[in-house]
Amino acid sequence: MELAILMGVLLVLLAIGVPVAFALMGASITCFIALDIPLVVVFQRMAAGVSTFSLMAIPFFVFAGDLMYRAGIADRLVQIAEAAFGRSRGGLGVVTVGASTLFGAVSGSAIASASAIGSTIMPAMKARGYGDDYAVNVTATAAIVGLLIPPSHNMVIYSAASGIGVSIGDLFLAGVFPGILTAFLLALVSWLVAVKRGYPRGVFPGWAPFLRAILLAIPGLFAAVIIMGGILSGMFTATESSAIAVVYTIVIGTFAYRSLGWTRFRQAATQSVRITAMVLLIIGAATAFGHALAILEAPSQLAGLITSITDNPILVLLIINVILLLLGTFMDMSPLIIITTPILLPVAVDVGVDPVHFGIIMMLNLGIGLVTPPVGSVLFVASAIGKTRMETALKTIWPFYGSLVLALMLVTFWPALSLTLPGLFK
Amino acid sequence: MTPHPFRRLSAAASRLLIGLAATGLVIMTAVVAWQVIGRYILSSSPSWTEQAAQVLMIWFAFLAAAAGVREGFHIRIVALEEAVGPRTRRVLQATGSLVVGACGLAMLVLGGELVLRTWSHTVPSLGIPRGLAYLGLPISGALIFVFALEKLVAPESGEAPKSSEAGDAA
Repeated sequence: MELAILMGVLLVLLAIGVPVAFALMGASITCFIALDIPLVVVFQRMAAGVSTFSLMAIPFFVFAGDLMYRAGIADRLVQIAEAAFGRSRGGLGVVTVGASTLFGAVSGSAIASASAIGSTIMPAMKARGYGDDYAVNVTATAAIVGLLIPPSHNMVIYSAASGIGVSIGDLFLAGVFPGILTAFLLALVSWLVAVKRGYPRGVFPGWAPFLRAILLAIPGLFAAVIIMGGILSGMFTATESSAIAVVYTIVIGTFAYRSLGWTRFRQAATQSVRITAMVLLIIGAATAFGHALAILEAPSQLAGLITSITDNPILVLLIINVILLLLGTFMDMSPLIIITTPILLPVAVDVGVDPVHFGIIMMLNLGIGLVTPPVGSVLFVASAIGKTRMETALKTIWPFYGSLVLALMLVTFWPALSLTLPGLFK
Repeated sequence: MTPHPFRRLSAAASRLLIGLAATGLVIMTAVVAWQVIGRYILSSSPSWTEQAAQVLMIWFAFLAAAAGVREGFHIRIVALEEAVGPRTRRVLQATGSLVVGACGLAMLVLGGELVLRTWSHTVPSLGIPRGLAYLGLPISGALIFVFALEKLVAPESGEAPKSSEAGDAA
């Protein structure tokens, strides 16, 4: 009964447009009243939720990515991708995927990627006669790759939510190949659709501009090297390397790119605290909500339900993937990581899935939720930038969904894809 | 038509909150960077930096979260609001503001209780009460209550929300 109250209140509040954080808070408060548990516990859990040490990496990763974007890295990444992939038929689609993958090494935010890469390439696509729906579909789905390419603040959230200290360094490494595979499948579909529609070829800009773009992008991409190198060598914690990345970005933005003035710096700082505040409030509220679920023994019931159906690892992973995909369509990524990790991770570990591998499955799976209606924030952003109605884009998005689901299946049932790279650094 | 003085005040308060929070983020960056400098260059690890950075983060996140209620940057589902007529939309928005305001009130009262309960615990290495770290919670709650109330009594318009406002976290 209380579980029905908890879920019912949440769904109603979400549907009428209450912000996710307050819907989670409201549902938890109502449930605690029904259970007759002191309400201060809700806020104790919230405070504990935002006080996890590793979460301090979130504002830094967001800040570094935003600074890099404002210093103008996106343009350079697009130039590189254009020189590399632009000559094929319908090359701009493949360019978008390539640039989004590179941008993933700068920022772990799919929304930032969609808006940075989309606002750079979409005007060019329109000018060369690409369909609006195609532009939105490529931009939105390619942005998902950035969730897998390190650094990724959602992996930091997963590590904190796992409760068993899954290594952030391992997660970052594990995301690399799945990210590249997803990018490859998306590029393939972008190219096939473009060929079918007869989109024009691009022109190779010449070696000099290509090399120039690479040279200009190297200082920006080097931030990712600092982050990964710092974590893997054990010199820095994830939080420390993210803070160092911020300092590094400020330095190269000011002195190497000379494009990061006071105004842009201020914009980056204010925008980053907005995002951090939104994410942390959701994390706090989701922690309280997860506590309510735990009191109601929902996690063990769901886990029991899954294992009563089957103990075949393949089927268990399929069931978990379906559950996450369904939840992902109407709920955002960070609250789902906080709420579902403590429930589903033990089930997966029971059938022999590595926690690092499970984290990568979760990132890609919930990433797909960001481009599916009714709640697909990345798809919203891409449609807004493409000045296209989401409904228009949705009519032709199926091949792109297809390649994302294929990537998800490959990542799910091919553990070595995720685990080989972290294994090399053990 | 000039805006009501209350509205001007709350707009200024919201800007101030974001400004303070951004300053907090910059200080937090400096504190963690100092931790690294301390360890590798001065070869003495400062013991206070990690806790200080954490307290800063909790404060600036809660302050900015309050401003977010006024700016409307908290991620939410707008599908239903976009589908209904202007009158129903206003009812939905008012209900939403009521819920957010009630949450703010709960954050103020119960978060306040949490602060009082944890005031006697000391944060190791900083020597400040743990409750001081959590004080941002009730303060944010009070601000959220006020901002939600403002939206309730004087909604800005019955216009459909723009989809692009849907947050930035993912």
